[in-house]
Amino acid sequence: MAWLNSTAREQLRAIAILRWQLSLNSMRSVRGRMNMISRGFAGLLVVGAGIGGGIAIGAAAWGIAAEHKFVWLALPFWLISIFWQIFPVMASAFTQNVDASALLRFPLSYSSYFLVRLAYGALDIATALGVCWSIGLLVGISVANAALVPWALAAVGGMVIFNLLLARMIFVWIEHWLSLRRSREVISLFFVLLMVCFQLVGPMLGHYSRLPTIQRFHVLARFIPLTRALPPGVAAGAIENAAAGTISSAFLSLLALTGYAGAVLLPLHLRLRTQYAGEIVSSGDKNSQPVRRKNAAPRRGWKLPLLSGPVSAIFQKELHYFLRSGPMLFTMIMPVVMIIILWGGRKGFLNHQSGFLFPIGAAYCLLVMNNILYNSFGGDGGGIQFFLLCPIPFRLVLAAKNIAQFAVLITELCVLWLGVSLIYQHPNLNSLSLTFAWYLVAAPLNFSAGNLLSIYSPKRIDYSTFGRQRASESAIFVSLAVQLTGMGLGALAIFAGYHYSKLWISTLILCVLGVPSIIVYFILLARIDRIVMTRREVLASELCRVQAQ
Amino acid sequence: MDAAILTEGLTRRFGDFTAVDGVNLSVAPGQFYGFLGPNGAGKSTTIKMLTGLMAPTSGRMQILGLDLSTHLVEVKRQIGVVPEGMALFGRLTGSEYLNFAGRMYGLGRSTAAQRAAELLDFMELADKPKTLITDYSHGMQKKLALAAAVIHGPKVLFLDEPFEGVDAVASGTLKIMLQRMISRGVTIFLTSHVLEIVERLCTHVGIINDGRLVAQGPLDELRSHVAAGTGEQTEKTTLEQFFLQTVGGSRHENQELSWLG
Repeated sequence: MAWLNSTAREQLRAIAILRWQLSLNSMRSVRGRMNMISRGFAGLLVVGAGIGGGIAIGAAAWGIAAEHKFVWLALPFWLISIFWQIFPVMASAFTQNVDASALLRFPLSYSSYFLVRLAYGALDIATALGVCWSIGLLVGISVANAALVPWALAAVGGMVIFNLLLARMIFVWIEHWLSLRRSREVISLFFVLLMVCFQLVGPMLGHYSRLPTIQRFHVLARFIPLTRALPPGVAAGAIENAAAGTISSAFLSLLALTGYAGAVLLPLHLRLRTQYAGEIVSSGDKNSQPVRRKNAAPRRGWKLPLLSGPVSAIFQKELHYFLRSGPMLFTMIMPVVMIIILWGGRKGFLNHQSGFLFPIGAAYCLLVMNNILYNSFGGDGGGIQFFLLCPIPFRLVLAAKNIAQFAVLITELCVLWLGVSLIYQHPNLNSLSLTFAWYLVAAPLNFSAGNLLSIYSPKRIDYSTFGRQRASESAIFVSLAVQLTGMGLGALAIFAGYHYSKLWISTLILCVLGVPSIIVYFILLARIDRIVMTRREVLASELCRVQAQ
Repeated sequence: MDAAILTEGLTRRFGDFTAVDGVNLSVAPGQFYGFLGPNGAGKSTTIKMLTGLMAPTSGRMQILGLDLSTHLVEVKRQIGVVPEGMALFGRLTGSEYLNFAGRMYGLGRSTAAQRAAELLDFMELADKPKTLITDYSHGMQKKLALAAAVIHGPKVLFLDEPFEGVDAVASGTLKIMLQRMISRGVTIFLTSHVLEIVERLCTHVGIINDGRLVAQGPLDELRSHVAAGTGEQTEKTTLEQFFLQTVGGSRHENQELSWLG
């Protein structure tokens, strides 16, 4: 820090104090204190994982260095790097990010700004664990072979810097793309595909595990040159070369590692420099050119049979929202993804009980829909005020939303039916009737609980993005309880059917149970207006709340 | 004739804090009423109570002679509101939103579509038919919120800071629309921090400070200084001067920050 002038040092100190004050102030509310307690527990886990992981990696490195099996040294480097880069993406739901660009209005020098952005990143879990494990790696190698200490220090230190820069570079670029609505949606879609790919890892590993051992090694061997050419392999190579006495190669490896760090530093610098220069980010629809419409015929809204004008209007609005939201559309493809996953791992149970595939998929559809059902107004944001202001009973608003949600659910079931029919066989009549009987119980139950939670525990959600987008904790808890109840009732009915060797008995039981479930739904719906009158202020203030950094 | 807006002892408390304290408002039909007050005085809380977004702790409210506590839906049918948050649905286009708003207020499909098209044209929002509201500028969103508030032809219009963040061009469009509505007998209840706009548009003004209504009446009357005792009218004050006198905003006049410039 000595190379920074006194003003820059004062600014950095002020920013550190600001962060500390923000943490203290966040504890003023009960929710903030609860969050701090849960962060405290998370902190303990991190300390445990850091020390435990550090010891384990250190022991592995010691074994590798002591036994002179340096060919394996890339493995711990790879493990640390993969965790360091992947974990922040996965943990975005509970990682708090502060918008450091807000500091730009102060007279910060570029070097101070760069340092602040880097320092913010150094405070996350992945960096803390990555550094702990890297220290373990360094200690392990050093204890095994003291002559390697300078090389290990340079290689491990180089990797720490590389990982830190790479994580920051990824973060600032994703942050930039997420600030634009269009690219935010593209990234969301990419994120979905990434998640789907992760779900396919299991079936893929299952596929390779069926190969003979020698073929498995051939598959692995194809990746080895690639892993050695990338930074973790290069860092390990520097130590390996030093141990083998080929100092020039070791130097070359360290040089290559520096080159990688420089290659990452450049886009990071470009992005931060642009931000520092006063980049104006706008979510505006730049591609939308003004269109002069002369005498264009006004487009009328939908009129659905049996439904009143306002209910039809809400139904139409909900479907517009659904079709314009990547995450919501994701719910449509999930059943098919699940079928593919089940197909990839089709062994044992499913080979003999494929008749249960449709009911299982249908239950999964309902589970996936819960994110929307239990926070029906989350995506409306400030639009909730419109519903509260317009002259129709609130129960009609909720009923219209439920009709739209149910229509989506039915569409999903159709997609599921099509998928099961194409990949396996047509679900038989027994399994279809059992599924629909279970829906008679579970759907009204979920819709009732969802309606109540949507009013009692609303949370503003931007359905155009993934990450940090989840219903409130209480909604998740209640949803889990309702799911368990629904599944339990279904399992009991199926058990009874099996006991008498007649599956129609299960269907009958579920149909009977469906009657009180439907009645409960309508009773609750009839009382919604009274509930909303008492909850309207909380509802509006929660959903109109502007997301503060 | 019934007042368009009438409150008696309107009070709202949040725990120990009284945001609105016994406010008695009376706005006659056809009046353009400016509701003023410093930040945190209770303007938005009052407007929320008057539009049914918030329940009062005590007191009575009547809109067009209908008691709000017993005829909420009937009242909502006759009023239009641009609330603080604008009540927009970001992922609809302007046309879709206005169509939706019209139908929610009971208009037929054809009428809603026709009025939506006319309003978009009037507000100069028709040239971006495929743009989502979330991509509109702040001024465009304000214009759209006002269009949605008037699509059903309300008799009373409540506007919470309609000119905040709106440029001069958009502001001009809004003013034209509001003045036309007044000329057709609509009652407008508006809160604003921009005193010049209130001065130019409003016929009557109410000032709230610390939750209490401290002044109310025709704008000209409030601005006129009548010499004590003689009844002789002297120079008229501006609304800003009257406002500052009323809410005590001149306390920093003699205070100096010597290190500034």
